[in-house]
Amino acid sequence: MRRWSTGSMILVALAAAAASAVVSRSVTRDTGEATVAAARTADGTPDFSGIWQANNEANWDLQAHEARPGAITQQGVYPYAYARVPAAPVLALGAAGGVPASIGVVEGDGEIPYTPEAAAIRKENGEHWVDRDPELKCYLPGIPRAMYMPYPVQILQSANKINMAFAFTSTARTIHLDKVEEPPDDTYMGHSVGRWEGDTLVVDVTRFNGKNWFDRAGNFHSDALHLVERFTPISRDAIRYEVTIEDPKVFTRPWRISMPLYRRLEPAMELLEYRCIEFVEEFLFGNLRKQQLVKRWEGETMIIDITRKVPTGDKLYEWYRR
Amino acid sequence: MRTRLLTVVGVAVVIAAVAVFARLARTDVAGQSPAPAPQAGPASLPAEAATAAEAGETPWGDPDLQGLWSYDLEVPLQRPARYGNREFFTDEERAALDKERAEILGESDRRYSPGTEQDVGGAYNAAIFTTHKPVGRRTSLIVDPPDGKIPPLTPEAQKKRAEIRAFQVALLQATDVCKNNLPGCSGGKYGPPSPRRAEAPPHYLTVAAAGGPGGGGGIINRSDNPEDRNLGERCMAAVLPDFGGNTGFFLQIIQSPGAVSIFYDTGQGQGWQRVIPVTANPHLPSHVRQWWGNSRGRWDGKTLVVDVTNFSPKTYFQGSYENLHLVERWTRLDTNTIEYAVTIEDPTTWTRPWTVKQEYNKQNDYANRHYKEPRCHEGNYGMVGLLAGARAEERAFADGRGPDPATKCTAGCGGFAAGFGDSGEDSNPLTR
Repeated sequence: MRRWSTGSMILVALAAAAASAVVSRSVTRDTGEATVAAARTADGTPDFSGIWQANNEANWDLQAHEARPGAITQQGVYPYAYARVPAAPVLALGAAGGVPASIGVVEGDGEIPYTPEAAAIRKENGEHWVDRDPELKCYLPGIPRAMYMPYPVQILQSANKINMAFAFTSTARTIHLDKVEEPPDDTYMGHSVGRWEGDTLVVDVTRFNGKNWFDRAGNFHSDALHLVERFTPISRDAIRYEVTIEDPKVFTRPWRISMPLYRRLEPAMELLEYRCIEFVEEFLFGNLRKQQLVKRWEGETMIIDITRKVPTGDKLYEWYRR
Repeated sequence: MRTRLLTVVGVAVVIAAVAVFARLARTDVAGQSPAPAPQAGPASLPAEAATAAEAGETPWGDPDLQGLWSYDLEVPLQRPARYGNREFFTDEERAALDKERAEILGESDRRYSPGTEQDVGGAYNAAIFTTHKPVGRRTSLIVDPPDGKIPPLTPEAQKKRAEIRAFQVALLQATDVCKNNLPGCSGGKYGPPSPRRAEAPPHYLTVAAAGGPGGGGGIINRSDNPEDRNLGERCMAAVLPDFGGNTGFFLQIIQSPGAVSIFYDTGQGQGWQRVIPVTANPHLPSHVRQWWGNSRGRWDGKTLVVDVTNFSPKTYFQGSYENLHLVERWTRLDTNTIEYAVTIEDPTTWTRPWTVKQEYNKQNDYANRHYKEPRCHEGNYGMVGLLAGARAEERAFADGRGPDPATKCTAGCGGFAAGFGDSGEDSNPLTR
């Protein structure tokens, strides 16, 4: 049994809430611009250069879901799943600690075709979100998740390379339109090779190391993940982003997600840092401080004790070697 | 047994951080000696190098800086004093330096008495602090001041450095570093554990080098918290500007209209993505601070000029923190060469601005040897080892099973960087 830091839990939830706020704000836009034709490069292809952001709840859960009272919940007065209440780690955040509802981004019947074994892992992942989600540890987010996390992404489209720079942990992916050697190893962000099919940028992504998730709900994949992404202009300020997801170790068939990416229209918009390595030191190492930062509050001050039992296999160093 | 294992893990995993230290430290120790009075006027590149072949343009008409870049020749940041104001090595000097450095690389097996703290510190000896790249023509990357040295620190910066140094020495005073009067104890003396061990550091801790490059930073002999460890061990060592080092340095530049992106593959998995907006927009409000500052680019003929401000107080470059101001100039000299020139100023840190010029050489785009990962942070169970090892040592001491942790030099302890182990600075002919 390990005590875990109240502060870090709240921090995580706050970060999530703040990030959601950014998404909501980005919806604001002037009218009329949706009818403007897509920007074009000198050689006639659509020009995706600019700063973009998804504006949905996919990072919470790719699938359709109703709102939940907290990112972490527990049984309340009633024994029913629909009557659960927020649990300690997010309790102090009130309405800012909940999970927004979503119509989902999974195409077709909305189901993710897990194998029975993988479905069990998915369920367990969801129950151990705080222990297992790489996002909470500020690990490289992987693809496609980096595309719809609640942080902006800047696309720099050149003739032979397209670079995508992510605010989250200042990472990037390069889409090679030219021929390059295969990478020497598998990676978090994969290896992206792109081509144009008419007005659609088609990107084949392979060589993942299998350590990423799709969302905070525990949807996951293995190192056999193979993505085919399609970027198609809807207008000057919106891109249709579609991904075919294939992973024979985890899914019984390929499946698809689809969503728009929206241009950040603020005239002064630029990518700012979200250097979260520093933000998660308490979360990752707080229990090893000589003197814990967590204190019991007294009197009118709220006291939250959190017990976080890290399951076997999910300790930091075990996770890395898994 | 468990205690020992954790300590060993801690020490071993510090390698990544130490390598980063090496990158920073290659220039740093020399920087602490006062420089002579500066003279006006930046030096210039040799005529043949400056011959600007027709460099290409992007399809939208901007100068094209794109591709993978590194530097093929090693040039020390600061000019060793023995070369005075001489800007270039002779061919004979370059050959002699290459020979001497090759011999250092062959000495990697030299050991102190196995198992001692000094032996562990010596794991990071001159051999790993010496790159395999041949020596370049120039005697220093610094072209201004003409002596090729970082300008003297202001009294304010010296005071800050001294405060950090005093804290470091206090935490070392009960260890063998001071008992044996090793260079790492410079400025201190052997004594009982200092009450300062219970204090917070006097300034935000940044880099590994003892004494701090130019005036701050510094690793300390303590692991009470992650914040006691340096930015390298915390996987946040990447700095701007970055002149490379022996842990690798590759830039990938990709442009689009209105923006230039540079991925810095640096510091063993501590790389980062930078996007320079090419814009006339003003800088961020002055209260918004970032680790890598706030960049504003503009094209001046064939040159990308970037003004960088708004650095965080946690940023650290050669003694400068939040007041760092850079003016970078990126120029494609020819198909295979970019000249990077940066004027560095911070009136609170240095008595005058200084300028560095570095040449980047085109790397093979097809081979694509550029890594955005594996990243330091994702594998940083070394931090767990360091902290858990320290807690285990404390418990052992409390139970009468081990020595007072205050008497131990752990994970280099800030002592080896100034000679506790086998500092590369002392033996590397390019930094000596």
